[in-house]
Amino acid sequence: MTLAAESQKSADAYLAALRRQLRELMDEDVNDIVAEIRMHILDKTSDGAEPDAVAATLAALGTPAELAERYRTDELLKRARMSRSPAYLLRSLLRWAGLSLVGLIVFCISVIGFGLGGGFFILGVLKVINYHGTGLWGQFTDTNWSLGFQSGGNGAGHELLGWWLLPLGLLGGPALFFLTARFGLWSLRKFWRPRAWR
Amino acid sequence: MKESSPPTPESSEKWEIQLRKGSLELAILAALWEGRLYGLEILRHLETNSDMIVVEGTVYPLLSRLRGLGFVESEWVESEFGHPRKYYRLTAAGRQRAVEMSRIWARFSASMNDLLAPLEKETQGEHEGKKTGIDKTGEEKP
Repeated sequence: MTLAAESQKSADAYLAALRRQLRELMDEDVNDIVAEIRMHILDKTSDGAEPDAVAATLAALGTPAELAERYRTDELLKRARMSRSPAYLLRSLLRWAGLSLVGLIVFCISVIGFGLGGGFFILGVLKVINYHGTGLWGQFTDTNWSLGFQSGGNGAGHELLGWWLLPLGLLGGPALFFLTARFGLWSLRKFWRPRAWR
Repeated sequence: MKESSPPTPESSEKWEIQLRKGSLELAILAALWEGRLYGLEILRHLETNSDMIVVEGTVYPLLSRLRGLGFVESEWVESEFGHPRKYYRLTAAGRQRAVEMSRIWARFSASMNDLLAPLEKETQGEHEGKKTGIDKTGEEKP
């Protein structure tokens, strides 16, 4: 019960594409789905094994993207994947945070990441506008250690970064922002188990 | 007359598709009522026992969803003819769900039939009128 080489190739290509499209589901679920669809193709084409039969079977299933889309029932994950907006991502993470400890941790890290990234960027911009009034000040005495960002006036202590705040703020800020977004999406994909697959 | 303003084929077709889609879940649960079946058997069962035109690509994801919801369970069974098959069977929750759904369905279709009764009468009258009347177009002959 094997397919002709050419049919086999198109069926394999279809299944490989399906596997790629399903990549954010759990591995065991993906293996199960792909195996089931493989058996379906084999069953539908077992007698003739003509290329036409395979093509017709694959067409009836829809494209791998369409089929995978029907499997991805979890709205949260789907929307978070579509939208790269940090606001949307944070809202998804907030909902996740209400459901599990991992979600809560990821949410907290993301809030800190977005906050620091945005904050550094704003400081970088302010440094350009107001060089002397913006910076990272530290005061280290025997009794008092303090570290803080200040803008708009001369703080106590030494300015620590000077011009370094420019690359740190203008490049590091957005980079941190970007990395936080990637981290949030990655965590959703890796650890969030869509409800339909539990 | 009816012929002068036919319903747009697109919209009524779309509606029918939505209707079928909405009832597919119940149809699958009903197909599994008697025992376990694998995906293709479910498809064939629906095709032979109903006028449901089932799109193959919708049945497998729906089976996954039903499994996720706990209404069906699945197991791989080695067949003697070569490859293994993934069989589905109803769980207790699935049986309960099917009963509930069929009850809702019966109630809904009964009330819908009541609503449609006057309409039915009129369209029947129309058909009879057409039969006795002179057919002008020719292409509308029953």
